[in-house]
Amino acid sequence: MLRITALVLLSLFLSACGDSGGDNNTVILPAKKQPLSLKKETPNPFSMVDVSPMDMSYCPADYPHIKHIAGDLPQMRIIYSRPQKQGRTVFGNIVQYDTIWRLGANEGTEIEFFKPVTIQNQKIKPGRYTLYCIPRKDSWEVIMNTEVNIWGLNINTAKDAGRFTIPVTSTTALSEYFTAIFEDTATGANLVFAWDSVITKLPISF
Amino acid sequence: MRIILAAAAFLLTTTAFSQSKLPAVDKSPMDMSYYPTGYPLLKIQDKATEQPVARVIYSRPQKNGRVVFGELLEYGQIWRLGANEATELELFQNVKIGGTKVKKGRYTLYCIPNEKKWTIILNKDTDTWGAFKYDVKKDAARCEVAVEQNTEVTESFAMTFEKGNGCINLIMAWDTVKVILPIYQ
Repeated sequence: MLRITALVLLSLFLSACGDSGGDNNTVILPAKKQPLSLKKETPNPFSMVDVSPMDMSYCPADYPHIKHIAGDLPQMRIIYSRPQKQGRTVFGNIVQYDTIWRLGANEGTEIEFFKPVTIQNQKIKPGRYTLYCIPRKDSWEVIMNTEVNIWGLNINTAKDAGRFTIPVTSTTALSEYFTAIFEDTATGANLVFAWDSVITKLPISF
Repeated sequence: MRIILAAAAFLLTTTAFSQSKLPAVDKSPMDMSYYPTGYPLLKIQDKATEQPVARVIYSRPQKNGRVVFGELLEYGQIWRLGANEATELELFQNVKIGGTKVKKGRYTLYCIPNEKKWTIILNKDTDTWGAFKYDVKKDAARCEVAVEQNTEVTESFAMTFEKGNGCINLIMAWDTVKVILPIYQ
């Protein structure tokens, strides 16, 4: 019985090899090389899947689902990538204090305001900005920059358009994946960031 | 005692907050591609030689052992060309697609897949979900493109740009299928 199983397995293995090597007419495109990004998955001939997947949050929350009742334009949206904790202490360790952090991974985190907003008494015109952060133990400095379509490194601080200091709150409910969402408030919305045991909220009025 | 109660209340609210509001990671993760390919990386290395022409933001469903075209996705039915939020094509310049002039701006991309050809649709209704509210009256352009077969399987739906012959190509690939949408500057 064991011998038959082994034979079956061997023949399956050989036929699999035959399939993959049998067709020489197909052009196999090379996988893309992106030296500063981490990719996972079996090789994808076109574009591999990011280890830190991208995600998007709207304000009003879930706008794409409710736009038929929520009106013609969302207030704002954020597009960011979601690195994972993976058992590590995040802040003060893999994300260092007092050092610029891209508030995500890979491409620079992008916030787009479709209508005017006010943040800490600063009026912000509709438009698109790159968001980054200088995390500290007790507070974060969240910074808006006008250089867009950019990878989240080598940020040109001369193009900063606003700097906002917000307090850090700790939670025992750990966030494995970095998360950025909008939650409604009486005066507008908070842009909520959560990762590991840290939660911060940037109040936005409109 | 009051402190303990306050701490307990705080823990309860933060726990409830975390569990009810923080979104899990999408099963079909989102991704973004630019033309020029890798533009954000080129830009920080001062290697970008031209302005960005286009970018696409899309979600990446997986084959997971299924036959995608003609089974998981029915031929002749409109498909969101991705998953979750509608796929967004942003044009940073005016272009021509399928013989139609298209102004710079954001568009939702849809597709009607068939065995030999796909119809790619640019629609002006952005920031929407899937193809459930698709309105043909808001179309900005349509283009029919030929289906090519790959023997190598693409597990996760992929969209990427490359330089074409006098145009830029938006390549879309999933399972054993590949299509190319030419975009003329």
